[in-house]
Amino acid sequence: MPLLELKNVSSAYGSVQALRGVSLHVEKGEVVTLLGANGAGKSTTLRTISGLIRPTSGEIWFEGRRIDALAPEQIVRSGISHVPEGRRIFPGLTVRENIMLGSTSRGHLSKQMMAEDVEQMFSIFPDIKRFENALGWTLSGGQQQMLAVARGLMARPKLLLLDEPSLGLAPVIVQQLFATIREIHALGTTILLVEQNAHMALSVAARGYVLETGSLTVQGTTTELLDNEEVRAAYLGGHGA
Amino acid sequence: MEVLSNNLQVLFQGLALGSIYALVALGFVLIIRATNVVNFAQGDFAMLGGYAMVLFTVGIPGNPDLHIPGIGIHVPYWLAIVLAAGVMAVIGIAFNFGVYYPLRNRQFLPVLISTLGASIFLQNTVLAVFNPQPRPLDKLIHSEGITVGGVFLDSQYLVILGFTILAVAFQYFFFEHTLIGKKLQATSQDKDMARLLGIPVSLMIIITFIYSAVLGGLAGVLVGPILFVSIGMGSTIALKAFAATIIGGFGDVAGAIVGGLIIGVIESFAAYYISVPYKDAYAFLALFLVLLLRPQGIFGEKVSEKA
Amino acid sequence: MTPAAAHAGPTLRLQNNAGGLVVLAILAIGLPLLPYAFPISDYVLNIFLNSVTYAMAVLGMVVVLGYAGQINLAQAAFFGVGAYAVALGTVDHGVSFWISMLLGMGAAAIAGLVLGLTTLRLGGHYLAMITISFQQIFDLVMVNWIPVTHGPDGIAGINPPSLFGLALADKRAYLLFCAVVLFLLIWFVWWLPGTRLGRAMRAVRDNELAAETIGVHTLRTKVIAFTISAVLGGIGGSLYAAGFSYISPDNFSFLRSIEFLTAVLLGGAQSPFGAALGTVLIVLLPEWLRFLKSLYLAVYGLGVILIIVFLPEGIWGLLRNAFQRVRKPKVPTVEVVPALNFDIQAERGRPILNLINLQKHFGGLRAVDGIDLRVEAGTVHALIGPNGSGKTTSLNVVNGIYKPTAGRIDFDGTDITQLTPHERAGLGMGRTFQNIRLFQTMTALENVMVGGQRDNNPMEAGGDALVTRALAALDFVGVLNRAQMIVRNLPYGHQRLVEIARALAAHPKLLLLDEPGAGLNQTEKQALVALLKRLRGHGLTIFLIDHDMGLVEKVSDTITVLNFGKKIAEGSPQDVLRHPDVIAAYLGEGPTGATARA
Repeated sequence: MPLLELKNVSSAYGSVQALRGVSLHVEKGEVVTLLGANGAGKSTTLRTISGLIRPTSGEIWFEGRRIDALAPEQIVRSGISHVPEGRRIFPGLTVRENIMLGSTSRGHLSKQMMAEDVEQMFSIFPDIKRFENALGWTLSGGQQQMLAVARGLMARPKLLLLDEPSLGLAPVIVQQLFATIREIHALGTTILLVEQNAHMALSVAARGYVLETGSLTVQGTTTELLDNEEVRAAYLGGHGA
Repeated sequence: MEVLSNNLQVLFQGLALGSIYALVALGFVLIIRATNVVNFAQGDFAMLGGYAMVLFTVGIPGNPDLHIPGIGIHVPYWLAIVLAAGVMAVIGIAFNFGVYYPLRNRQFLPVLISTLGASIFLQNTVLAVFNPQPRPLDKLIHSEGITVGGVFLDSQYLVILGFTILAVAFQYFFFEHTLIGKKLQATSQDKDMARLLGIPVSLMIIITFIYSAVLGGLAGVLVGPILFVSIGMGSTIALKAFAATIIGGFGDVAGAIVGGLIIGVIESFAAYYISVPYKDAYAFLALFLVLLLRPQGIFGEKVSEKA
Repeated sequence: MTPAAAHAGPTLRLQNNAGGLVVLAILAIGLPLLPYAFPISDYVLNIFLNSVTYAMAVLGMVVVLGYAGQINLAQAAFFGVGAYAVALGTVDHGVSFWISMLLGMGAAAIAGLVLGLTTLRLGGHYLAMITISFQQIFDLVMVNWIPVTHGPDGIAGINPPSLFGLALADKRAYLLFCAVVLFLLIWFVWWLPGTRLGRAMRAVRDNELAAETIGVHTLRTKVIAFTISAVLGGIGGSLYAAGFSYISPDNFSFLRSIEFLTAVLLGGAQSPFGAALGTVLIVLLPEWLRFLKSLYLAVYGLGVILIIVFLPEGIWGLLRNAFQRVRKPKVPTVEVVPALNFDIQAERGRPILNLINLQKHFGGLRAVDGIDLRVEAGTVHALIGPNGSGKTTSLNVVNGIYKPTAGRIDFDGTDITQLTPHERAGLGMGRTFQNIRLFQTMTALENVMVGGQRDNNPMEAGGDALVTRALAALDFVGVLNRAQMIVRNLPYGHQRLVEIARALAAHPKLLLLDEPGAGLNQTEKQALVALLKRLRGHGLTIFLIDHDMGLVEKVSDTITVLNFGKKIAEGSPQDVLRHPDVIAAYLGEGPTGATARA
C-alpha cells in the first residue's frame, strides 16, 4: 500500500481550476518529484495534500486513511510535514527558535529531547549552526531554505513535502541544498518534491510526474524522464529538441 | 531651581500618564499583530477594569428602571484586583468569539466598525448597571507620596510606573523565553505557516485577546484613582493609545510603549505651558503631523502593495 | 458606418431605479404636505425635520463611503460646520441665512478637501484615525473657544430664513422646503454613480490599484468624494440649525458621526434610498426602543455588530438583491455597434518602449538588475524567464507601480520614469493583471467605460461616444452579450476578456499583458492567441509575460529571456527557445553542472 495516494484529485485556487483529476502515489522510502512549468499546479498539489486547500473532488489517502477532509493541524499530526514555497521562516524568531517550533506537532518534548533533536538538525545543516541565535530575517536565501527544511524535519515526518526549494537560489547553493536532500533521504525520510528545476529534481528522485496546466502529462522513472522530449516540451513548448 | 523641578514634575506626570497609554497600546498592538484587527474597543477594556474594581470594592448602585438592585460588596483591595483581572479574561474570551471570530475573513472596514459597535455596547451596558456619575477609587498605597529633590512623586503615579516596568519585563520574559510565547509570536508573524507546523492558531488568538483585555483592564485599575472611573474614560485613552501606536510605528511592540510615553509627555507639557482644556488636541495634532510627514512612525517600515 | 447610423446606436439604460425615484418624489412632497391636511404635534414635526436634515449628512456618507469606499468618521463635524456657520452668521454677525449657509458650505468643502488630500499617503485605519482626530479637534474647539463659539452653552435664537420674501417661520413650511432640498440632493446622489466621476469613485472603491493603472486620477477622485460628503453634511447642518433654532456642541460629536455611519450601514451604503431608510430608522429607533430605557444604547451597539455580520449591504441591499434574483439582467438593445477604432498614432521606426539600464532593488534583493530592452512598435514582444527572474517586477516598473532604483524608461520618445501610473495610462499605456483586477461590483460595460475614461483618449465628442466605444471593445473581444452583467458573476475566461476590452477602450499604443493565459484551458488559450494576433494585425504593440511557451511561441515576434534579474537571451522564438542558456535556465543545471543537450 503506498504511503500517499491521490485519486483523481481536482482542486481550485480562487476561481481558477488549478488541478484536474490528478492521480499519483508515493511509496514509503521513495523520493518522488512533481515537475512542470510555473502555473502548472505543482504547488497547488502540495497545498491540497497538506490541507491548506480543500479538493473539489477526488480522494487523498495517507497510510490507508483518507485525509482530504482534515484540517492542516490534523494532517501535520498524522505525519505529513509541508515546507511551503518561499521559505516562510518566522522573521522575528531566531534560527534555533524556528527549528524548535518545527516539533510542535509532536507535542511536549523534554528539554533534553528538544536539545538533542535541534543538535541533530545542525549536524545535517552545519551551515546554519553559526547563526543559531540570529533572527530569521537576517539569513540569506539559501540559509533560510536550509532552515525551513530543518524546521520541517523536526516534526519527524513520515512524509516530507518540499515546495520549490531551489526557488530564487544561486546554482551553487542549489547544489548544496540537494546534496542535503539526498542525505535526508538516506536517513529514511520519504519525500515528495516539487521543483521547477527538472534536472536537479531528477538527480535525487527515483520517479517523477510532469504537470501541465493542472493535468498529468508524463510519468516515469528518472531515466525515462531525463531524456524525454515531452518533459522539455512541458517547459519550453514545442521546442527544446 | 524651581523651573527645573517644575519641569521634572511635569515630566514625571507625563511619563506616568504615558505609561497608561503605553499599557493600553501594548494590548492593542498585540491584537493587531495576531489578527490584523484594529480594536476600537481597546480603551474600553481599561474602563471595564476600573468598573470591575468599583464593583468589587464598593458594589453597584442599582438601576430601578431595569430592576437591578443596589448591592454592596467590600472585598479587600488586592483580591479585587485579582477578581477584576479574572473578569477581564472572561471579557477577552467573549470578545474573541463575539466580535473577532464571526468577522475573521472580512475586510478591515466591517471589522473596524464592528469594534466600534462593541465599544458602544460595552460602555452602555456598564452605564445601565452603574449610573453616569464618575466614581473614585482608592489608591493602591495609602500614602500621599514622597518628595525627592523638590519634585513631589504621587504614590499612585509611582505604582503606575512600577507596574508598567513590571509588565514590560513580564511581556519580554513571556514572549522571548517561553515556548508558548514563541508560538504566539509565530502566529502573529505568519499565521498560515504556524498552522502548517501544528500550532493551534485559534487558541493562540484567544490567548492574545485574554492577555490584551487583562492588560487594558489593569491599566484602568491603575489610572482609576487619579482620573476617576467614568464611562467615557476608555474612549479618550483608546484614541491616544492608537495615536501612540502610529507614532511609535504601527504594529511595533516597542513603538507602542515609546509612543505612549511620548504622548503622555507631550500632553503633560502642553497642559502646563499652553492650556489645559486643549491638551487632548495636542495628542491629535501630533498624530496628524506624524501621519502626514512620517506615516510609518518611529520604528515602522514602509509597506507597498504588490500588483 | 455613417455618422447617422453610429448615432442611432445604443440606447442603454444604465440606471434601473427611476421607479424608486418617482416613489420618493411622491413621499418627499407628499409627507410634508400631510401636516397641512391633518393636525400634527410639534413633536412629530421635529422628528420629521430631524430625519430630513440628518438624511442629508447620511447622503454624504453614501458618496464617500458607499461610492468611493473611504472611511469617514468626521461627518458630524462637517454637519457642525454648516450649523455653526448659520448660527454664528445670523445670530452673532447679522449676516443673512443664505450667505451664512454658503460660507458654511465653503468651509466644509475646504475641510473635506484637506481630509481628502490625506488619502494620498494613507488609507484604511490611518484614514479612520485622521478623520476621528479631525472630529475630536473640532469638538474641542467648539467646546473651548468660548468667545467665538459660545462653548457648551450653545447658540440660541437661530431664525429660519425667508425664501423669495416668504418667511418660512411656519415649521410646516420650513419642513416642506427642507424636504424639497433633500429630494434634490437625493436625485443628485442617485444620478452620480452613472457619471464619469461616479464610475471613477466606484472603481477606486473596488480596486484602487487597477483604477490608478488604467488612468483614473485616484487622489483627485477621493478628494472630490470627501469634498462632496462634507458639503452635503454642511447643508444638512445649516438647515438643522435654522430648523431647531438652538445648537450646542453635543449635537456634532463623535457619537453623532457614529450614528451617521450606522445609518448608512443599516440602510445600505450603496444607495441614496438606503441612506434615507437608514436615517429614518436611526431617528425613530430611540423612540420605539424607549422601553429599553437605559439599555437602549447598549442594544444599539450590539445592533451595529449584528448588522455588520448579517446585513453587509444594509436593508436596501437585501431588498435589491432579492429583487435582482427575480429580474433578469438586461441585454443591450443595440442596433449597430461600430467596429473598434484602432488608430495607433505611434511612429514606426523608433522603439515604442525603451528600457535603459533599468534596476529595481528591494533591500538587498536585486529583482531587476540592469536591463536594457527595446520594444519595436507594432510587434508582439514577450518577456519570459523562470520564477523569480524579475519579469513581473519589470512590468510593474514599466507601469509605474514601482519606482525604479535606477535607470530610465522611454515611452514613445518621452521619458516617463517619474510619472504616476495614471499619467502613463494617459499617454497610451494599457495593462492587464495576472490576478484579474476588474471592478467586481460593476457591469462589464461599466468596467470597460472606466478604461475609456483615461486622459487624452482620442474619441468623438458626445455623451454616447464613451458607451459606443466600450460596446465596440466588448464586441471585439467577443463578450458583447455580457455587457450588462456584473463581472463577478462572469466565468473566469470571460472576465479575462473583459479586462482586455477595458484596456482596449483606452486606445492604447502599448498593451502590457501580465500572464494573460493564466487559468485558461486549452480552448480558451487558442482563442486568446487568435485575439492577440488580431490586435497585432491592427497595429497595436503588445508586451507580454507568460509561462505557456506554446502560446508565447505562436504569438511573439521577439522574446526576451530573464534570469536573476538580468537579460540572458533575446531574439526570435525559434532562436531563443533553442538557446542552451535558456534551456538551462528553465530546466536547471544538474548536480554536475550538466545541462540538457541543445
